[in-house]
Amino acid sequence: MTPAQILVVEDNKKNMKLFRDVLQATGYRTLEAMTGEQAVELATEHSPDLVLMDIQLPDIDGIEALGRLRADERTASLPVLALTAQAMEGERERFLAAGFDGYLSKPVNIPDFVATVKRYCEGAIDD
Amino acid sequence: MLPQKTAAGATQRRLLSPADNPLVRAVGRLPAGVHAKLLVAFVGTALLVVALGVLGLRLLGQSNERVETLGTLQERAFAYGKLRSDALHVRLLLGQNIAGDTFTNFPDLYVQRPAAAVLAIDRAITSAVAQIPASTFPDNLGFRPPPDDEIYLRRIRATGEGLSTVMREITEARAAPARVTSAPARLTSLRLRAELLAIDLNQHATELANATTARSDALIAQNASAYTRSRNLLIAAAAGAIVLALLLGFVLSWSLIGPIQRIDTRLAAIASGDFSGHVDVTNRDELGALAANVDRMNDELKRLYKELESASRHKSEFLANMSHELRTPLNAIIGFSQVLREKMVGEVNEKQAEYLDDILSSGNHLLSLINDVLDLSKVEAGQVELEVAPFSLHEALERGVVMVRERATKDGVQVTHTADPDIDLIAGDERRIRQVIFNLLSNAVKFTPAGGSVDVSATQVNGEVRVAVADTGPGIAAEDLERIFEEFQQTEAGLEQLEGTGLGLALSKRLVELHGGRIWVDSESGKGSTFVFTLPVEGTKL
Repeated sequence: MTPAQILVVEDNKKNMKLFRDVLQATGYRTLEAMTGEQAVELATEHSPDLVLMDIQLPDIDGIEALGRLRADERTASLPVLALTAQAMEGERERFLAAGFDGYLSKPVNIPDFVATVKRYCEGAIDD
Repeated sequence: MLPQKTAAGATQRRLLSPADNPLVRAVGRLPAGVHAKLLVAFVGTALLVVALGVLGLRLLGQSNERVETLGTLQERAFAYGKLRSDALHVRLLLGQNIAGDTFTNFPDLYVQRPAAAVLAIDRAITSAVAQIPASTFPDNLGFRPPPDDEIYLRRIRATGEGLSTVMREITEARAAPARVTSAPARLTSLRLRAELLAIDLNQHATELANATTARSDALIAQNASAYTRSRNLLIAAAAGAIVLALLLGFVLSWSLIGPIQRIDTRLAAIASGDFSGHVDVTNRDELGALAANVDRMNDELKRLYKELESASRHKSEFLANMSHELRTPLNAIIGFSQVLREKMVGEVNEKQAEYLDDILSSGNHLLSLINDVLDLSKVEAGQVELEVAPFSLHEALERGVVMVRERATKDGVQVTHTADPDIDLIAGDERRIRQVIFNLLSNAVKFTPAGGSVDVSATQVNGEVRVAVADTGPGIAAEDLERIFEEFQQTEAGLEQLEGTGLGLALSKRLVELHGGRIWVDSESGKGSTFVFTLPVEGTKL
C-alpha cells in the first residue's frame, strides 16, 4: 500500500523542513508549496490525501487558496487543515467557517500534530 | 464602529412636532436673547390685557351715556304725558260744558238751567287751561326742552293762551244780562272756537307726547342693538386677545423647548456613542450658542473617538502581528526540540535530553507569556467581551482539578474538590472562569511541596458565590499579598520556579473584576495560602 501523500503549504523554510521531516519520518510522502498559487497547482496535479495549509502566504492567502481548491471539482473534496500562527481568539472558528476541515495552531505539539495528521489521512483512506 | 441610527423615526416625529412650525423657527431665528424675547412676550400680553380693559371701559361709558339719555327722554315723556292728560282734561271739561248747554239755541231753556253749575264747569276749564301755558316753561317742566320739542310747546302755549282768552270771553258773556239779544249767538260762536282750540290743544299735546314716546322707544331699540354690538365686540376682542396671547406663548415657548429637545436628543445620542449628526437648531439666541457648542463638542469627541478607534485598531493589529511573528520561530524551536527529544532522528544522550527539555520548557514558557500578554492587552483595551451564559460551576471546578491532577500526582500533591450542593448553575463566561480556576489551581499545585494538599471549594455567601483554592504551600509574606496581583510581580518562590509568567494573577484579577467579582488571598508565611474569588449571583442565579 502506497503511503499517504501530504501537501505542506508553508512559506517559512525552517518550519517547512520541520513538517516535512516529521511527516517523512512518520512514513508519509510529502509535497511542498511555498506559495498559495503553487499549492493550488500541486493539489490539482497530485490530488494529495491531505493538505496542511498555512494562512499567511506571500501571494494569495490560505483562505483564498482553499477557495480555489473548493471551486475546482478535482480538488473540491480534499481534506484541508489550517496550520497557522494566527492564534488569536476566534481564529479557529473563522477558519472552520471558511471551510477548513480542521485547525492546528503554531507552535504545534509534535505528538498532537502527528496524531491529527494520522486521523485525517485514515479518514481520507476510509473514504 | 459608530452606531448609525435610522433617521426615519426621528423625521416623522419632527414633522409632527410644534417645534418645527415655520413661525416657531422664525422666532428662533430672531437675533435677540431669550431674556429680550420673554420680556417682549410678557409686555405684549400685558398690553393686550390693558387694551382689552380700555375697550371695555369705553363700551361701558357709551352704554352709560345711552342710559342717561334714555332717563332724560323718559323724564320728558312723563312730563309731556301729563301735558297731554291736562289737554284731554280740558277737552272733556269743555265737552261737559257744551253738553250742559245742549239746548244752546233755546235761550229759554238755557236760562232755566241753574247758572251755578255751568259756572262751576267754566271755572274748572279756566283753571285747567291756566295750567297749560305755565307748564311749558322749563322751570315748571324741571328740564330744558330740546329745540324739537320747543316747536310743539310753542303751539301748545299759543293754543292754550287762545283758549284762555276765549274762556274769559265766555265767562264775560255769561255774566252779561240774560236778555241781551246778541248773547246766545255770541256764546255759541265762542263755544265753537273753544271746542276747536281744545281739539287743537289736545292734538298738539298728543303729538308731542307721541313723538317723545316714539323717540324713547327708538332709543330703547337702539340701546338693545348697541348692547349686542358692544357685547360682540368685547367678546371678539377678548377672544382675539386670548388667541394672540396663546399664539405668542406657543411660539415663544416652542422656540425655546424645541431647541432644548433637539439638544437633549443629540446629547443622548452622543452619550451612546453616535457622533454622526449635528443639532438642528437655527436659533440665534443663547440656545443657538448652546447648540453650536454641543456641535463643537460632538465634533471634538468624534475626532478623539476616531483617533482612539484607530489607535485601538493599530494596537490590535500590532498584537496580532506580534503574536504571529513570535509563534512562527517558536514553532521551529519547539518542534525541532520535540523531534530530537522524541528521538525521531536518533538517540540523544542524557545531557542532550536534559538540554532539550530546557529548550522545550523555555519555549513553552515563552508561548505562555505571549498568550498571557495578548489576553491581558485585550482585557485592558476593553476588547474582551464576556459571553455570559448559565454554566455549572461544579463542572468547571471538576475540569480544573482534572487538568492539574497529572502534575499534582507527579509532585505528590493531593487535590480535592469540596462541593456545595446548593450551588449549581451560575451566570458567567464559562471559558474565562475556567481560565481563572485553572490559573489558581496550577499556582497552588506548583507551590505546594510533596505530601501537601490543595482543596478547591465553592460556597454561597451574601448573594455571591465564593470559590476558594486553599493550599498547604509556603504561604505569602504580608508585604506581597497585594503586589502579586500586579503584572510581572512574583514572589521569591515564584521566581525560583522559573515557569510562571507573572501575568496569571493579574489576568485572573481582571477577568474576575469583569464579572463584577473580587479576588484576594489570605495567607501567612509558612501557613499555606487561600486564594478566593467571588462572582455575584444576585439576579443571575437560575
